[in-house]
Amino acid sequence: MSHPRHLTLHSDETTSVSSSSSSPERAVYDDTDFFTQRNDSQSSLGVASLRDMTMSSSLELEHRISPVSRLPPELLISCFSKLNSSMDLRSCMLVSKTWSRNAVDLLWHKPLCNSWENLLNVVQAVRKEDSYFPYFALVKRLNLSSLKGQISDGTVQPFTCCKRIERLTLNECSKLTDHGVVSIVNGSNSLLALDITGLDAVTDHTLGAVAEHCPRLQGLNITDCSKVTDESLIAVSRSCRHLKRLKLNNCTLITDESVTSVARHCPAMLEIDLHNCRQITDESITSLIARGRQLRELRIAHCSLVTDNAFLELPKHLAFDSLRILDLTACHQLHDEAVEKIIETSPRLRNLVLAKCKDITDKSVHAITRLGKNLHYIHLGHCAQITDAAVIQLVKMCNRIRYIDLACCHRLTDASVKQLATLPKLRRIGLVKCQAITDRSIMALAKINTEVSLLKSQAHSLLERVHLSYCVHLTLQGIHALLNRCPKLTHLSLTGIQGFFMREDLTAFCREAPPEFTEHQRNMFCVFSGPKINQLRDYLNNEEHASIYDTEGTMYDDRDAEDGEADQQVTGMMHATGLGGVDDEDMNDEDEAGEGSQCGEAPDS
Amino acid sequence: MSTQIKLQSSDNVEIAVDRDVAERSILIKNMMEDLGDGIMAEAIPIPNVNEPVLRKVIEWCVQHRSDPPSSADEDTDSRKKTTDIDEWDQKFMQVDQEMLFEIILAANYLDIKPLLDVGCKTVANMIKGKSPEEIRKTFNIQNDFTPEEEDQIRRENEWAEDR
Repeated sequence: MSHPRHLTLHSDETTSVSSSSSSPERAVYDDTDFFTQRNDSQSSLGVASLRDMTMSSSLELEHRISPVSRLPPELLISCFSKLNSSMDLRSCMLVSKTWSRNAVDLLWHKPLCNSWENLLNVVQAVRKEDSYFPYFALVKRLNLSSLKGQISDGTVQPFTCCKRIERLTLNECSKLTDHGVVSIVNGSNSLLALDITGLDAVTDHTLGAVAEHCPRLQGLNITDCSKVTDESLIAVSRSCRHLKRLKLNNCTLITDESVTSVARHCPAMLEIDLHNCRQITDESITSLIARGRQLRELRIAHCSLVTDNAFLELPKHLAFDSLRILDLTACHQLHDEAVEKIIETSPRLRNLVLAKCKDITDKSVHAITRLGKNLHYIHLGHCAQITDAAVIQLVKMCNRIRYIDLACCHRLTDASVKQLATLPKLRRIGLVKCQAITDRSIMALAKINTEVSLLKSQAHSLLERVHLSYCVHLTLQGIHALLNRCPKLTHLSLTGIQGFFMREDLTAFCREAPPEFTEHQRNMFCVFSGPKINQLRDYLNNEEHASIYDTEGTMYDDRDAEDGEADQQVTGMMHATGLGGVDDEDMNDEDEAGEGSQCGEAPDS
Repeated sequence: MSTQIKLQSSDNVEIAVDRDVAERSILIKNMMEDLGDGIMAEAIPIPNVNEPVLRKVIEWCVQHRSDPPSSADEDTDSRKKTTDIDEWDQKFMQVDQEMLFEIILAANYLDIKPLLDVGCKTVANMIKGKSPEEIRKTFNIQNDFTPEEEDQIRRENEWAEDR
């Protein structure tokens, strides 16, 4: 449906809308000229016309009565842009004509379609023949993902007149087919980012339309669009030369043919994710790295055909200084030689994921130590050959590590964890199924040094997320001490630890087990997160007070006595942080929704 | 100590300020860089800002003289709590509306982005949570809509009621 009427009615507005900026803070309805005209007429012409004089004096009167009228549109818009609720913007729309003109752009930049009712209202306004403003031309971001399954090809038809959309997010709207998506994409040559994650009905037809109509596209996410083939992706790579972010997760039909085409034609590529693109081989990886001189992030988890050669074939003596994030999860054909080459060519890697690269050994870890302080995030889960010696060396050389996962590295002992505990910035640690570790490790993490009092002065640990499931030697006393020393803790997984899952009074604070778990798994499941951590801590502290000397705790009795006061202080602080950080904690919970298995979690982006 | 320079307000009053304070204004900073030290002998005219407003702006610049330069990604960080204002600034902004908008205009003209930001946030805070009628009262704005127009806009933007 077209709206030629709007285009003529609001011709000046609409042309300024089309002037390519994505920022809503522009003075679309710019009447600043009005002000300068007034000044001109006063200064340059000796005698102002009668009309000018009455105009200027009435303006001055208005300014005196209502000082806000002094603000030119762009400043009024700056003020409006600080409002973060659309409710407040809507109130501004209803204040006066001037306010309305200056608020409408911001309000309609991203119309809220978070309920069916809202969606209907937005649709009505957008398609209305005689709407007060040309809303259809103001929509820059459209996100229908919160309505998911309710969105059909018919639902999106009214949006086909919104041709200035820059970001279109339709992820998980799984009823949508080529028909619906193509009708929006057609003619949307402002489109910068398209997310159609989970639209498994979509085929090459949609990406063909993208290639034809969206030359400015910079971000494309077609995760789980498993019908898409090389044919349309090659077309996209040839016409969308500005592509910067590409996610092809689980697009299992994709082969080297299209990925090498992307490498060849899209030199601006920053991030590419080929998670589980199972047909991808070495050729793709080599060309992406060698040609993508700006490439920052490369994820090829579960691309199991990739071998050492992907990296060994990289041009000699070239350094890929931009590469910060490399995810090689379950690329199980990789060996130490590849890791050594990666570190040699990408000295500024910050995140490195080698989980389930089962053949790598201490040799790889020694190579990784050369990243030094650049390394912030390292995942070595299931690299079961790794030993204490390598971990200790790693910690010594890379002391900026914030996140480390060593799940199922069953050779590791307390010696590794004691070293890990010295990392000054450590926020998250994963030690799931490191079955050799004992409470000594926990004491070290809790910064409770039983041997030397060197660390006594150190207030408390910065740890936020701790994964200790199936570390079967850990005891309640150890965990209790950890809780009291880690005031920032928002996640603690203790599945399979007897001292916990056997006690119903403690599992009461545990969160629900994922629905797909068996009954046996449910019984063992023991994960604490968000505010529940504080409640668990308080509960344990109260219990301790009730029975002052618990007979079980032999090992730490002295400490308990002398640290009673410090513990209380920490608990007190925790209340404060708990209150302040509720939002963040909720967000963390969401992050983790998909973390079914206890072995590690999805890498942070 | 920093050397002093002179600023001349629109009503021809000269005010001496430390150079680093004045250079919180990107306009003045650029001017100093372009014109070199020679300019320091003479007062820099600030034609759009009168004395009381200029003094007020300078008061802010003195308080914030050693703030670290704002980084580019600060904008994205602050998106979450857009209307948080630090305590001193809140007090500073407790002025009548005429002064408030003059400060905003001056901050814009002199290119002092953090001050402009505080000003805009202050205005936003005056809007937050109010009904259209309360906003009109707060800012003394005439409702120039016809009842029909008002009703139409209300209906077309009903979706926005949901926060």
